[in-house]
Amino acid sequence: MDKKKKINKSGWICAKCSCPVEEGPIKAMYLSGNFDVKLLRCPVCKNVLVPEDLALGQMLEVEKGLEDK
Amino acid sequence: MDLDKLLAKQELCINDNLPSCVAMCPIHVDVKGFMEQIQKEDFQEAYNILQKRMPMAKVISQVCDHPCQNVCVRKDKGGDISIGDLEKAVAQYEGTVKKRSLPIPDNNKKVAIIGGGISGLTCAIDLRKKGYTVTIFEKNKELGGRLRRFVGDLLTEKVLEEEIEDIKKLGVEIKTGVTISQEDIKGLREKYEAIYIGTGKWEVEFKIDGITFETGIDGVFCGGRIAIGNDSIILSVSTGRRAAISMDRYIQKTSLTALRKEEGSYKTELKVDTSDVSEEPKIVPSSDVYTKEEAILEAKRCLLCECHKCYKACPHLQYEKLDPKAYIRKINHNERIILGDHYANKAINSCMLCGLCKSVCPTGVDMAEIIRDTRKSMVSRGKMPPSAHDFALKDMEFNMSEYFNLLKHQSGMDKSKFLFFPGCQLSGSYPQYVEKSYAYLMEKLEGGVGLYLNCCGAPGEWAGRDDLFETSLKKIYLDWESMGRPTFILACSTCYYILKNYLPDINIITLWEIFNEKGLPSGAHKGEGKNLVVHDSCTARDYSNIYDGIRDIVKKLEYDITEPHYTKEQTQCCGYGGLSYFANKEFTNFATDRRIQEEEGDYLAYCAMCRDLFVSRGKKTLHILDLVFGEDMEGLSIKKGPTLSERRNNRLKLKIYILHRFWGENMDLKEEYEDIQLIIDKEVRSLMKERLILEGDIKKVIGMGEKSNNRFFNPENGHCLAFRRIVNVTYWVEYEKLGDSFRVITAYSHRMDVQGE
Repeated sequence: MDKKKKINKSGWICAKCSCPVEEGPIKAMYLSGNFDVKLLRCPVCKNVLVPEDLALGQMLEVEKGLEDK
Repeated sequence: MDLDKLLAKQELCINDNLPSCVAMCPIHVDVKGFMEQIQKEDFQEAYNILQKRMPMAKVISQVCDHPCQNVCVRKDKGGDISIGDLEKAVAQYEGTVKKRSLPIPDNNKKVAIIGGGISGLTCAIDLRKKGYTVTIFEKNKELGGRLRRFVGDLLTEKVLEEEIEDIKKLGVEIKTGVTISQEDIKGLREKYEAIYIGTGKWEVEFKIDGITFETGIDGVFCGGRIAIGNDSIILSVSTGRRAAISMDRYIQKTSLTALRKEEGSYKTELKVDTSDVSEEPKIVPSSDVYTKEEAILEAKRCLLCECHKCYKACPHLQYEKLDPKAYIRKINHNERIILGDHYANKAINSCMLCGLCKSVCPTGVDMAEIIRDTRKSMVSRGKMPPSAHDFALKDMEFNMSEYFNLLKHQSGMDKSKFLFFPGCQLSGSYPQYVEKSYAYLMEKLEGGVGLYLNCCGAPGEWAGRDDLFETSLKKIYLDWESMGRPTFILACSTCYYILKNYLPDINIITLWEIFNEKGLPSGAHKGEGKNLVVHDSCTARDYSNIYDGIRDIVKKLEYDITEPHYTKEQTQCCGYGGLSYFANKEFTNFATDRRIQEEEGDYLAYCAMCRDLFVSRGKKTLHILDLVFGEDMEGLSIKKGPTLSERRNNRLKLKIYILHRFWGENMDLKEEYEDIQLIIDKEVRSLMKERLILEGDIKKVIGMGEKSNNRFFNPENGHCLAFRRIVNVTYWVEYEKLGDSFRVITAYSHRMDVQGE
């Protein structure tokens, strides 16, 4: 969570809407898994930002877990 | 998947059969464990192992007639192991240690033992340990019977008395000076629930059952010399023991015959390959008994028999620490899981499917076939992890697409007697050699040599994707028919294996055979006696025309050949096979390292993947076509193979180039956003390799991000972060714009689909 905040602080803004990204509700889906989570996203166009450490850390772990289910 | 059929395959594996000495020992002393402990200089533990199976070990060890030695596998390699002498020595050194025995709970059932000799004492000890109230009737004044004849230097009176004393301490009642004859049996039967006769001789001749040692009289059993008709001490022990098992079962009213097949001596099914074992002469003891040092040396001659040929040969089995039986059980369990993790998925997808296990196995256990079937089953049940083979399957799709696929008659001709099919990996690694080989073939062969750029479908077979594989085979078949059924000329062993097995109608020949038949290109450099270690491709193992053809070329070019231990039909995979490279990178490195460490010299491979993998792990390796068409052998042997992106580019460029060169056609074929200029430093490249991200993917992400503005921007450092979902993977690229180029900061991907609400 800290890192997400850091990225938020480091100031990604949505290039399309010129809005800073902020945490918001996200639907995440993979194979048999459906999750409601909070991730960074543009509050206007709802484009989701998945940072590198999330994609290669927790998210990968969940993907692997679902693949072996 | 038929799991009963799968489990039945376990039975083929002979590895857990006993070593020949242990099987032949009538009481199955764990001779191998015993030897192992002496090798480790642990005489105490060796004696413990002896005691586990051998009653009165201090005595029997000194007098055993060791039938085990006759079947010792070491016999023809310097002489059998002196098992008997080692038992004597170990008992001499360790037999003085006092045994601690726990009190035995009585079951209040009485048995009588007639005769206090070897078999009677064994029977008495075994039954007493099970809780029976045991009475021995011995006609002499003292117990021991024939054992007393052996009293001398090795077996002292004192030791014999100690063992008899131990029997008394167990709580066995002993009546000496009592003669029992046939007419007493009936009376005894009223007091005792079962009777054992072990008197060496008996006035009545029984019809003795060889398994149960029943005499025909209800509740009366017998053993020892009456049953075996010879003087073997250890066989006497065995009959006493087996009769005790029968008596226990008789009293407990359970089956006397169930599961007793391998109770006595038998010949093992275990096969041990001694072809690599060198002769070592027996160690002769310097006095009556081996010194400890001599005993250790003699025990070290023991081969510690096991089969495990597949395990010793296969890096995958070693990495997973699984032998075929355990592996089959693991697969069975993995297939049956309904709720919970399929914990064996990764192992199953790491097998190189190379078939070495089958080729070394004395009974032909074929794990590759089992794992191929398992992967198909996983796919059909929707349980195959999509990430395992996704990259390879997408690569296959690319190779079958217009970006690589090409099918043409030789320029200026309308029919083809031959069709050159170089394969996708040779085209990815060595497009220049494909071009040179094709020019050579057109020069040497009559009747038209067409060109066919395509994938043979192997990734589909390896991934268990019958759907994709069938489609690819069908396409090849139809293309072959459309070209007038030409003979395929192949330069890849995997293509050869696939076509030979799955499209047997198609005539195939290797480029290597044509080189040998029509002569090598005139410019080929001679090796001047340089030595090369020939590494055979795993898919070539069943085809001597391939591996012999390669050796013929190498010899013609005046190179010396070193054969690695695993070679020809028993070659070891480079680590790429079965797509293990994509499913388990760590393992692939392990397997590649194993292979390249086998021999010191430079390697020669004839598969582009083998060569590139070896070089990537630091082994100087040449491809056979380097020898034929190359210039600077030293430089070529250390030249790193192309990246995954470059492999794709090479294929596309090969198609464009070759169309222009041989047919004068210009093709303007580009991948989406191909013209985007990227700047990628070494570290990012290595990340991309690790994460299986191609330059083409990055261009597609940046191109789309720039066009649609669906991306993020960081005003502080000016970086952009673009994303794009391509089929089932979302790719992310962080980059900065430098003039007309894009410098890639990082790239990553995930498979989870995320949607903002």
